[in-house]
Amino acid sequence: MRREPVLLLALLAAIGLVAAFIVYPQIQVVLVPGPDGYVAFLSGGTWVKPLLNSLQVTVLSTTTAVVLGFVFAYAMVYTPIPWKPFFRIIGILPLLSPPFVVAAVYVLLFGPRGIISYGVFGLSPSVFGLLGIWGVQTIAFFPFAYQLIADVLSRSDPRLEQAARNLGAGPWSVFRSVTLPLSGPGLGAAILTTAIYVLEDFGNPALIGGGFNVLPTQAYTLIEGFGDFTGAAAVSTILLLLALSLYFAKTRLDRGRSFVTVGGKASSMPRPPVPPMLTRACFVACCALAGVILLVYGTLIVSALTLYFPTNMSFTLDHFEYLGAHATSLQNSFVYSMLAAIGCSAFALFAGFVVQRGSWPGRRIFDFLLIMPAAVPGIFFGIGYLTAFNQPWSDQLAELFGQRDLRAQLIVIALLFWNIPVAYQAIVVGLRQIDRSIDEAATSLGASSLRGFRDVLVPMLGGSVQVGFVTTFVRAVTTLSVVIFLFTPRSTTATITIFQLVNDFDWGGAAAFTVGDVGMAVIVLVIIGRLGGRLAVTGFRGG
Amino acid sequence: MADVAHLRLTHVTKRFGSTAAVDDVSFEVPRGSFATLLGPSGCGKTTTLRMIAGFYDPDIGDIELGGRRINNLPAHRRGAAMVFQDYALFPHMTVSDNVGYGLRLQRKSKADITTKVEDTLKFVGLTGLGDRQPNQLSGGQQQRVAVARALVVEPEILLLDEPLSNLDAKLRESLRWELRALQQRLGMTFVYVTHDQDEALSLSDWVAVMNAGKVEQAGAPWEIYYHPRTAFLADFVGAVNLVPSTVREVSDGTAIVSVGSTNAPVRVPADLSLTSGAQVRLCIRPESLALRSPTAAADGQVMVPGTVARKAFLGDLMRYWVTVEGREWIVDQPDPGAAMPHDGAVQIAIRPERIHLIAEAVS
Repeated sequence: MRREPVLLLALLAAIGLVAAFIVYPQIQVVLVPGPDGYVAFLSGGTWVKPLLNSLQVTVLSTTTAVVLGFVFAYAMVYTPIPWKPFFRIIGILPLLSPPFVVAAVYVLLFGPRGIISYGVFGLSPSVFGLLGIWGVQTIAFFPFAYQLIADVLSRSDPRLEQAARNLGAGPWSVFRSVTLPLSGPGLGAAILTTAIYVLEDFGNPALIGGGFNVLPTQAYTLIEGFGDFTGAAAVSTILLLLALSLYFAKTRLDRGRSFVTVGGKASSMPRPPVPPMLTRACFVACCALAGVILLVYGTLIVSALTLYFPTNMSFTLDHFEYLGAHATSLQNSFVYSMLAAIGCSAFALFAGFVVQRGSWPGRRIFDFLLIMPAAVPGIFFGIGYLTAFNQPWSDQLAELFGQRDLRAQLIVIALLFWNIPVAYQAIVVGLRQIDRSIDEAATSLGASSLRGFRDVLVPMLGGSVQVGFVTTFVRAVTTLSVVIFLFTPRSTTATITIFQLVNDFDWGGAAAFTVGDVGMAVIVLVIIGRLGGRLAVTGFRGG
Repeated sequence: MADVAHLRLTHVTKRFGSTAAVDDVSFEVPRGSFATLLGPSGCGKTTTLRMIAGFYDPDIGDIELGGRRINNLPAHRRGAAMVFQDYALFPHMTVSDNVGYGLRLQRKSKADITTKVEDTLKFVGLTGLGDRQPNQLSGGQQQRVAVARALVVEPEILLLDEPLSNLDAKLRESLRWELRALQQRLGMTFVYVTHDQDEALSLSDWVAVMNAGKVEQAGAPWEIYYHPRTAFLADFVGAVNLVPSTVREVSDGTAIVSVGSTNAPVRVPADLSLTSGAQVRLCIRPESLALRSPTAAADGQVMVPGTVARKAFLGDLMRYWVTVEGREWIVDQPDPGAAMPHDGAVQIAIRPERIHLIAEAVS
């Protein structure tokens, strides 16, 4: 590397970008309150309640989401239930939409004027608060838990289970003595990852939390309601610490997972049969869960197509006409997410290359910094960009380029670097599977490292790039928390619009925008999937 | 004056952590020769090759190619093309694109590239396969593509890292002759790495046997095989009898050494200085020995009585294990079908000039 100045310069530029857009904003947030600020804030005690609320709701929602996710995953991996393709789509759909969609539908169905609560039972219950959030997050995050757990379970080697059955163990005994011990660390990691999603969830508590504040909503309220940057920074630092500790616990478990994947690809051997009763029970459970998901999306589509759901159910296209008239935010979402996904893929390619193939001091730190955003709550990331870049100098910079502000650019960059971990790790995994002799062959024929990278490695990394691209795009179109502090009326996004419309009780409009947003994600996913020949669905996360 | 050494390594050392993978290695490879680094796995032969290629930097020492020090030359500018054990073909390119890759890097014209690629494919016997994807070819064909891809750039030197070891035995042997013929036609310097002594002996003009990071001995295959300097070498390059012996007396380049209960006059190797009473090893290849009936006359040979312990029919020869004074000797008899197999008491007939002396390891 030291003999290739171009590569060295590119590496220095990449390090500079990471320092500017991953390290600097985050340090800014942590440093904003200062020692005195922290003392004053901590002794003020306003953080205790949101912290306890966050912990409580994270434990509750994670538990139920994981239980449901596990049932769904077990049914899909272990039992011969019918309709698997259908259930698979049901499991993916929620990953493509903003998680807070569930909260919106929940209000429509069970709220004071909800179609079920009021329409059927004539009740106007108070649905806001802990119970509501618990229920909504359970439904919103069980598909994430399902994806993670199904991934772990499907790696458990059927040959070992067949061997155990062959030695005389019954189905339950095999599960308890072979499957669980082998998948244990992986399942633990899946649970912790789900917990991070729940902990960082901003949209659901913001919509139906009522007076029940959790850390992300508290941070938001402090800034939007009181302009209290110090307090918000301190609250989100607490949130960051929680998320980081969950994340590090997860990486510890991940390390213990290596023995599960011995042999790499699972063999084609079928899994041992399970009792028919269990299959039937699993099928019923899957149908019930699919029913709930369909209810959510069905309600969404119906309310997008009716005048005033649920009181006036006459058909209308008004909401989509409204969407057409205010399409800027949807268009912004598409453009920003596309740019972020392209930038993220390109950056991840280069970063993965210099880390996986290079040997330079600081490589490990660089690697850590690129993975770190995975543990950073979106709300923290957004506040970081706000504090770091909402400065007089950025206005001057904007003026220099003849722009009113640089918020659009900032949103793209924030989405890019917030999503780096998935894209980057996909590249590193991809590179690990390409033998070094391939690069060396190119080198020995006269290609510089960068040239060989471009000609040989990049074309071979198509699948990994696809995973990073799709994940970044989908997460970018569905995130609320990262952009909520960065948008301006000109650079608003679809999720912001949906959030605002829900807050204004314009359900029809919100539903229409959600359908548009999810539709966009689905279309891009299908197109990219067609291009690459397979769907890449792991690694999504709402926020 | 003409510098005949095309490749020269001088005191080259490479450490990984605290272990020296290559330890003070020096050698010279003449221009146009087929040079082989031979040794067991972990002996440092591949590391040495990779330092020549530029994939590793030596910690100490100089590497010179064509009289020029190349230590600081980046790998892609060394003109040292490499052929890999796993072929390392670019899976997303056709055979032609693989072979033409190096020419594209040299910014040759399209027409030029097409012609040269076709010529080279013809040269390695792959005419008409240019449009295939690498994974549609057999292992042997893939390795030919890899060789073609390396040759087409007309490298200063061709490096081959165990290129045949992923192929089955038959194919390995036929490709071996092809490689040798190719090298002789081109007159190019090849540096070949292998752990297979048959390959090394049959292909090379020059062999360096490496062990534990050092070159134990370098020279012509004949030299290495019949006049190994150490017991390790003798054993590594083929089946051998290493019989402990005592020097009775030394005079005029000839030593009288004990062989069983008798003595034999043996030429002393130039690099060995022996005194009377020294402990040595007699190094005798099994095919240099013959079995005779217990009553056969000596006929100018040294005869050692023994008993056949077991034997194995290997097709082209019969291998005997003969117990002599509690020690097993290996004797190979060619053309086993020509006579009845020996059994029971026998004599081993040794021609003294076929005995090579090795100093008993001091440690």
